[in-house]
Amino acid sequence: MQEKKGYVSFVLHAHLPFIHHPESDDYLEESWLYEAISETYIPLLTNFQKLVDEGVNFRITMSMTPPLLSMLDNKLLQRKYIKYLRRLIELSKKEIKRTAGDERLNKLSHYYFERYSNDLHLFKDIYNCNLIEAFKHFQDIGVLEIITCGATHGYFPILYVNEKTVKAQIGVGVQTYERYFGRKPRGIWLPECGYVPEADKYLKEFGIDYIITESHGILYADPTPVYGTFAPIVSPKGVVAFGRDMESSRQVWSSINGYPGDYNYREFYRDIGYEADYDYIKPYIAHNGVRVHTGIKYYRITGDTDFKDYYNVEWAKDSAEKQAGHFLDSRTNQINNVSEYMETPPIILCPYDAELYGHWWYEGPYWLYILFKKIYYDDCNFELITPSEYIDKYPNIQVASPCRSSWGANGYSEVWLNPSNDYVHRHLHVAGDRMCELANLYPNAKGLKKKALNQCARELLLAQSSDWLFIITNGTMVDYAKKRIKDHIGRFTKLYYQIKENNIEEEFLKDISKKDCVFPDIDYKIYL
Amino acid sequence: MPRKTKEQTELENEKKETKKTSTTVKKTATKTKKATDTTKKSTAASKKTTTKSSINKKASTTKKATSTKKKSSVSKKVTKKSTDKKKVEILEYYDLPYRYNQTVVKVLAQTPTTLFIYWDISDTDRKTFIEKYGDNFFETTKPILIIHNDTLGYSFEVEINDFANSWYLHVSDSRSDYRIELGRRPINKVENFNTDYIFVSMSNEIESPNDKILFDNNQKMVYFRDIKTGIQTEKIVTSMSFIRNMGKIYNIYDLYKQIYQNENIEEIYDLSNPSS
Repeated sequence: MQEKKGYVSFVLHAHLPFIHHPESDDYLEESWLYEAISETYIPLLTNFQKLVDEGVNFRITMSMTPPLLSMLDNKLLQRKYIKYLRRLIELSKKEIKRTAGDERLNKLSHYYFERYSNDLHLFKDIYNCNLIEAFKHFQDIGVLEIITCGATHGYFPILYVNEKTVKAQIGVGVQTYERYFGRKPRGIWLPECGYVPEADKYLKEFGIDYIITESHGILYADPTPVYGTFAPIVSPKGVVAFGRDMESSRQVWSSINGYPGDYNYREFYRDIGYEADYDYIKPYIAHNGVRVHTGIKYYRITGDTDFKDYYNVEWAKDSAEKQAGHFLDSRTNQINNVSEYMETPPIILCPYDAELYGHWWYEGPYWLYILFKKIYYDDCNFELITPSEYIDKYPNIQVASPCRSSWGANGYSEVWLNPSNDYVHRHLHVAGDRMCELANLYPNAKGLKKKALNQCARELLLAQSSDWLFIITNGTMVDYAKKRIKDHIGRFTKLYYQIKENNIEEEFLKDISKKDCVFPDIDYKIYL
Repeated sequence: MPRKTKEQTELENEKKETKKTSTTVKKTATKTKKATDTTKKSTAASKKTTTKSSINKKASTTKKATSTKKKSSVSKKVTKKSTDKKKVEILEYYDLPYRYNQTVVKVLAQTPTTLFIYWDISDTDRKTFIEKYGDNFFETTKPILIIHNDTLGYSFEVEINDFANSWYLHVSDSRSDYRIELGRRPINKVENFNTDYIFVSMSNEIESPNDKILFDNNQKMVYFRDIKTGIQTEKIVTSMSFIRNMGKIYNIYDLYKQIYQNENIEEIYDLSNPSS
């Protein structure tokens, strides 16, 4: 058996903005959650279970953000997810009939019918609609480390002009984690990997041991870390920072030769929601009749061509297995090379968006499953590890201040601060200042005023979500993102004046508390 | 602009939302690429407007300060005409306030060498200036920003205009502490001012990010901390095995070049390959 010369650490960042519209069924954005459950979260859970059942010792880390946890815990959204699955099962049943004349297509229709029926069975009967508990189980048995994130994914490098708002993002993130997992998180995924040293004192205050940063968060640190991203550093205030490994990241993310572009993999863009006869598909697309993705996709990427071949599940699995082998070999070589230059075993940190696995890269969860099996059974020179385990084993860490950085385009704040979205920041800053003002004015509020103050905190946090800024930059569904900013700033501002004028409209408060029902235990005094 | 009735606006918003959002799922698939593209475009666009003093003007900041809306929200209770007559729904419509009537200057770092600054002057402060310097104070003076680099100890000034309320500004030095001062100067020196500069407000201070590997050839020691015990130790740089192996001075690029001998290090080390 080969000596273990190093470690690989997978960190999957599971995040969706808080989207909850009890007032209407027309918000298609709610379906992001349902798609992520079916395509990413359930496949990850089932593959974790398979690994456990097969006796494979593996380690993985996931950040589950507070808005995602709040949505997974929401009864209305759970019911809506079941409704979503039932519609898909109904559609795939119809597809079995419709494709009866084409054997290959028909086989795929059966595949989807079984897949969605199984999702329904798992969600209702096995997980009891509680995916958080399902993930927690794997944390409790020691194969998964779950870490937290900023309360609503607020981007620290913009918020920190009022440090209390960063404190609240961290504090509420930690409290939400404790509510669901019954212990404190050891790590945090900084929203968008946005690091500012001003956050360190709050990270320490709330008991955070480590953060995940982009590569240059480590490489540009002061002083220069002697081991690059192959070892963590510790900031002067005591926060350990792990940096993304560039080589492994490129293998997965590269738009030219990244793994998800394999020709045998499922083609994301060819969906029967866009292709089936309109009258036939109408009951399964948007309420207003606009074609959308249904999740039933029959083609593989095939190549750089419009003439796509049918998807073949077995071929796709073959490709995933080959790529898992390639990843394993690459890491083995990398660790062989790197470990020569190091006094402690290197750690290769591989952070990704969780939704890449399964949603964008349909075969991603299977690829992870095969990779983890290979790492366990093949005689390779490294082991999987979580960041916590690594720092427990190798607590002697170079002291350096990580560089202010993010994982957005070009590495800094351009995605969240540019001419398309810069108008938002003054509103976020004023609302942040006003929240602190309210907390200081009414540090001992009770009854209705306390409820209103807590709701103010929720509205502020929801307005701060980095997703809205990203969406505006991205140029897609901009109206929704802008509306969300307006709604939360609007509700906050209205409540701010009502509180100050001692004129709180109870019906209004009740209504917005129902809509924006995130963080039920929030305490506005975090802004003191 | 005449405002539509709340019900009309609400209805239109709902329609708009459904319409717009319906095409979004497919589009978000290009998330990573598009974000990069958009950012590149905006950078390119700002470059085009660069003036001699390296100022990136913001085209969209043309509104002049007017009055302050105290509350921008409208909400109304309506009873749905559905069978569920008891259900009371609160209809809401919000606009962001145009301004907050505060004297403020805030600076943020967009990149290591691009600062974003926004500002406003409250009505009370405007009145005070007018009382002190005359009715035409704002017509006979022009706004300026003074950029203070507190790390390197220099300042410079850029002229802005009263149609803008924010600005992107190129600075030469990354990893520096910056403060921005908003002030005004008389347009004509002959005006009846006993000073050629009137201070308005000072911003917060920020540190612009570092954008390079720090080469410190003089660094002799590397400090380690045992995070369990808190005990700090130091090692002489040249005693560290990988540095001995390379037989060179302290340079992280050398480590990476050594590891990736057969590959293009620049390609691996590419910040434009983002995740978000």
